[in-house]
Amino acid sequence: MIRHTVLFTGYELKKSFSNPVWPLFGIMQPVLYLLMFAPLLKTMTPGGTTVDALRVFTPASMMMIAVFGSLFSGFGLIAELRNGSLERYAVSPAWRPAIVLGRVAKDMVVLVCQAILVLVVAIAMGVRIGAVELVLVLLLMAATGLFASGLSQGLALTVRDENGMSQTLNLFMLPIMLLAGLFVPISFAPDWMKTLAPINPLYHAVEAGRALFAGRLSDSSIPVAFGLFVVLAVLTTIWSMRSLRRIAG
Amino acid sequence: MQRALPDRVGGRPEADASPCKEREPPMIIQADGLRKTFTTRSRKGTQTVEAVRGVGLEVKKGEIFGVLGPNGAGKTTTIRMLSTLIAPDAGKALIAGHDLLKEPAAVRRNLGYVSQAGGVEDTTSARAQIVMAAKIHNVTDPKRATAEVLERFDLTEMADRPGRTLSGGQKRRVAIAIGLVHSPPLLFLDEPTTGLDPQNRANLWERIRQLREAGTSVLLSTHYLDEADALCDRLMIVDHGEVVAEGTPGDLKREVSGDVITLRADDLERAADTLKPLARETRVDEDVLRVYVDDGEHTLPALLRALEEQGIGLSSIALDRSTLDDVFLAKTGRTLRDAGADS
Repeated sequence: MIRHTVLFTGYELKKSFSNPVWPLFGIMQPVLYLLMFAPLLKTMTPGGTTVDALRVFTPASMMMIAVFGSLFSGFGLIAELRNGSLERYAVSPAWRPAIVLGRVAKDMVVLVCQAILVLVVAIAMGVRIGAVELVLVLLLMAATGLFASGLSQGLALTVRDENGMSQTLNLFMLPIMLLAGLFVPISFAPDWMKTLAPINPLYHAVEAGRALFAGRLSDSSIPVAFGLFVVLAVLTTIWSMRSLRRIAG
Repeated sequence: MQRALPDRVGGRPEADASPCKEREPPMIIQADGLRKTFTTRSRKGTQTVEAVRGVGLEVKKGEIFGVLGPNGAGKTTTIRMLSTLIAPDAGKALIAGHDLLKEPAAVRRNLGYVSQAGGVEDTTSARAQIVMAAKIHNVTDPKRATAEVLERFDLTEMADRPGRTLSGGQKRRVAIAIGLVHSPPLLFLDEPTTGLDPQNRANLWERIRQLREAGTSVLLSTHYLDEADALCDRLMIVDHGEVVAEGTPGDLKREVSGDVITLRADDLERAADTLKPLARETRVDEDVLRVYVDDGEHTLPALLRALEEQGIGLSSIALDRSTLDDVFLAKTGRTLRDAGADS
């Protein structure tokens, strides 16, 4: 079981890095966000320095990569459904969940690389964060990414069509992004948005991330976000593994 | 390849009467009563399709067994059931000595599976994909096994190119190489040459024949008559999810008749009545009359005389060895080409 999961993770990673330009672009994206969005946000941040803006925006950008980077990884599965390779793996002696888990694990590895890069840039720009907070932020990001990756694989195996999949993702992306206060903190939002925001799981992750970057370890948003995303990640991962059963129609 | 075709170039069916009946090779596939019904739900309501309706087959160790039939006959569904990909609604099967339903894992270890789509990934190299398949199957030296199978299928030169840059024929060979890297005793090939040009088809046929020499049993599905005829030791013809005939290509054709005379005349019905005493069977098919006879060369003069005596004008006449299409026509009342067109 574990051997096959490791095998598929390695295979997927090799596939991702067979053309290193694409993962490089993927890793560059959050850095560009930090470099170009934080100055914009500066004017809206209490305190008004770049470091203050970064303290608000860095955790948000990390959660954003976690969700939106992983949400698209299911497209690979649709291609493999079509070219028949998924079917081929399903007939092999491979432990079936490993076929999906390998992809999820690959997403996690990419995510950690991106997170480290973002943190390095943020720290270079003057943000300071404690060791405990740092580990917790990374763990929260991993749980968020796991949820999104599981959701994406499950959605791919259910929708089985690139067009349908991209439309579905686009439909949910904007409301989830805005209602999480990713770019603009939700405290700037009108009341009805403030009421709606807690329904959005990502909101809690972003709040917890900001609390961690501000050094408020006892903030109640942290256990809420962890509890929520651990449960969600387990659920979507199980769903994605079960969806694999449907590949033979 | 010459020695592979003795019974279909007019020779005697030597296998049937051979004295080693009691030492018959054991079966690699024994399937019985396989059924599968698909239910599709759409806005228009629920639709059920009986894809396979009680198919049974036996494949001997080391033989190439064909499943011939038009599109939609249930060939792919049968192969998918036998390869553990979908569960049959009814029926049972023993594959390489393992029960299909109770020991799917053991069945999977013993087979290579090449689907109609092929399963060659676009971005990864052929070598990486084959090595991966070898590792999944616990091959002791995956790199060496990969190098060997690449060499065997003349793929060494393009082994490190991404899958999408390969031609159709090369992709097919990669697909089969992936299915063979763990040297399975049984290989499933679902429509292996569909979409290939004649040259690549001939090339692939040759490689499939070499599998027989290596002792690999092959179950292949096809809707090409010539393919089934040229490759298979034995075959079954399926239509609408049921087996309509089974045997060696030679036996099946002999069962229908040795030769077929196809003619066009001004009054086909009357011509058919006139020729009935001379033929095993006559069949009017749109604007042609097919006359099935045992010995075409010797029947032809008598046939021409009979038509002349009745004053029936002929516009064309042709004498051919009967083909598997004639078998299909005799069993189903349609030609394979027509059956393919309406499904």
